[in-house]
Amino acid sequence: MDDFRFRKVKQNLGVFWGNFGLPLIFIIIVVVFSLSNPSFATRYNILSNFGFAAYVGIAAIGMTFVIMTGNFDISIGSMLALVAVLGSSFMPKTGGVIGVLATLAIACSLGFINGIFVTKLRIPAFITTLGMLFVFRALAFIYTNNVPVYISDRFWLYIGNGKLFGVIPFPVLLMGICYLAAYLVLRKSPVGRYIIAVGTNARAAALSGINVDNIKILVFTLLGLFVGISSIVNSANQGAANPGLMGQNFEFQVITAVVLGGTALSGGNGSLGGSLIAALIVTFLGNGMGLMQVNSYWQLVATGLVMIFAVSLNKLKFYLLGQGEY
Amino acid sequence: MRYAKIAFIAVVCLVLILTVSFLGCKKEAAVEGGGMAVTTYANASDITIGFSLWTMQFTFFQNVEKGVKDACEDLGFKYVMIDQNSDATKMVQDINSLVGQKVSGIVVTPVDPGAIGPAVENARQNGIPVVCADIGKSGPINALMISDNFKGGQLAAEFLASKLNDTTKPLGLGNLLPQWTYARQRGEGFLAKALELGYDVAANIIVQNPSAEGGFDTMQQILSAVPDVAGVYFCSGREAVGAAQAIQASGKDILSVGYNGDPEEFQAIKDGVLNATILQEPYFIGYRSVEILAEILLEGKFYENVEVPVDVKLVTPENMDAIAAEILKKTGNSAFPE
Repeated sequence: MDDFRFRKVKQNLGVFWGNFGLPLIFIIIVVVFSLSNPSFATRYNILSNFGFAAYVGIAAIGMTFVIMTGNFDISIGSMLALVAVLGSSFMPKTGGVIGVLATLAIACSLGFINGIFVTKLRIPAFITTLGMLFVFRALAFIYTNNVPVYISDRFWLYIGNGKLFGVIPFPVLLMGICYLAAYLVLRKSPVGRYIIAVGTNARAAALSGINVDNIKILVFTLLGLFVGISSIVNSANQGAANPGLMGQNFEFQVITAVVLGGTALSGGNGSLGGSLIAALIVTFLGNGMGLMQVNSYWQLVATGLVMIFAVSLNKLKFYLLGQGEY
Repeated sequence: MRYAKIAFIAVVCLVLILTVSFLGCKKEAAVEGGGMAVTTYANASDITIGFSLWTMQFTFFQNVEKGVKDACEDLGFKYVMIDQNSDATKMVQDINSLVGQKVSGIVVTPVDPGAIGPAVENARQNGIPVVCADIGKSGPINALMISDNFKGGQLAAEFLASKLNDTTKPLGLGNLLPQWTYARQRGEGFLAKALELGYDVAANIIVQNPSAEGGFDTMQQILSAVPDVAGVYFCSGREAVGAAQAIQASGKDILSVGYNGDPEEFQAIKDGVLNATILQEPYFIGYRSVEILAEILLEGKFYENVEVPVDVKLVTPENMDAIAAEILKKTGNSAFPE
């Protein structure tokens, strides 16, 4: 009986930690920095951080889908740069709205190409996206002759810098809508169930009638779409699209957010909310340490340690739930 | 079907919100006669200067930072520094963070000058003047402190010409990436002066990897393209040192000139590997940037898109020791690696 009660408590703790572990870490970070530096807890700073988290947070949605199918994409930093330079160079001819839609279409196409290579040519995602990392970056250099494309379109700039009713950064709303749409797709539609099925056991999914290749192509295309949105936000923040400097280490930031958020690299199991909270943790942590004048090298050390700590606490969930995956 | 309806309503709401708020967005507030509205201060102790720096990894930027910090101390200002870690996205976030901290003025040494436009605009809309300490700018700014790069290139060409004294000998140029609009003037000055003096710059190759290794590789490309090259000029310090090592490895007698005046370059000149370099004054650039902000914030002086050229000097084995002593006296830093 005692053993039963102990297991029950462990399981409840596991469920609690699974649901609230990351938000708890996020709240602790916010509270600690708020107490340490009065500039941190201002409305401007908090809202700015939510806005800047959109850069990683939006792309993390697409990466969550891809990783849930047991794949990943390391070409997204170069994709971000290529999409930005192409889109912003079309902008003067097409105008804001059409330019944004064309940019998203280009981004989807690049993701689609990755998906085709992975599924139809059976090239592993790592090799495909490693190759595309070089191809996309080189195309961005060739297209622009390595000269940044400056953005003057007000609509495009608004997407990254605008404030709703003069207060809420527009990227925050955009990120919220993206997460809501992704949640509906993942949890409330057949496509979401297919994604989970493919990631859990692709062979079983295929035997039960799911077109595994199409699902994989779809998630790579969706990743392209979300990278396209991040690209517009990022280039609008900067007022320019730089083929060499945009998206450097972006793939690592996004994969870090997804893994930190609790999505298993082996596929099948994933959390959109976790990816969002992880993107917020990384952004707020960087901002807080910057405000506290922490040396940039120590910032990297602290960020790395917090990530390892957060992931090990995530493993605690599996231990408490008795799933033996710790 | 239910979710399609929800998605449709969400999209309609987004379009409405976007339209309403986009129509309401404002452009940068301008004062009569152009420029921006600046808050002036009566006491220096009320002023905080925020500094956003490319990176603390390189000596050049360490000296810019020292100049900014020393000026703040000398003028009685409070000082906040944030390192961009060579990341343009972080740079934008940092500048916005400084605005959030309500600093009085901002000095920025941008990793990507093309990417500071909206962040600087936001600072200026909040009444915070911005001075760029070197590298470059995009969009309106109060002032830009920038080395006289064109003159630096000319000095390099003059030095090589004076040593070679033979216009039939070809020259080589290790150029910078096109995105560095202002720094590219180092190459333009060199090409213009070489042409004027009757020399042929037979190889003009961009260093794709801005590092000592990149300089080494590019020098090898120059040697392949122009085997009888007699003198080369590289537009950045680390690349120049790498190129000088490639020359040494080739066993050829080729003159080499660098740009920046980094400690590695001083050491290479001392070791006889590099023949000369063009010295920039990062400490002065940082110090003067804060002085300009002081003029704006304390005296209400008008600065709008003002470019302040900073002089450059030729460093050779003959004047190296005197210049090193001068740097030590001015900045407290040795010109040589410590």
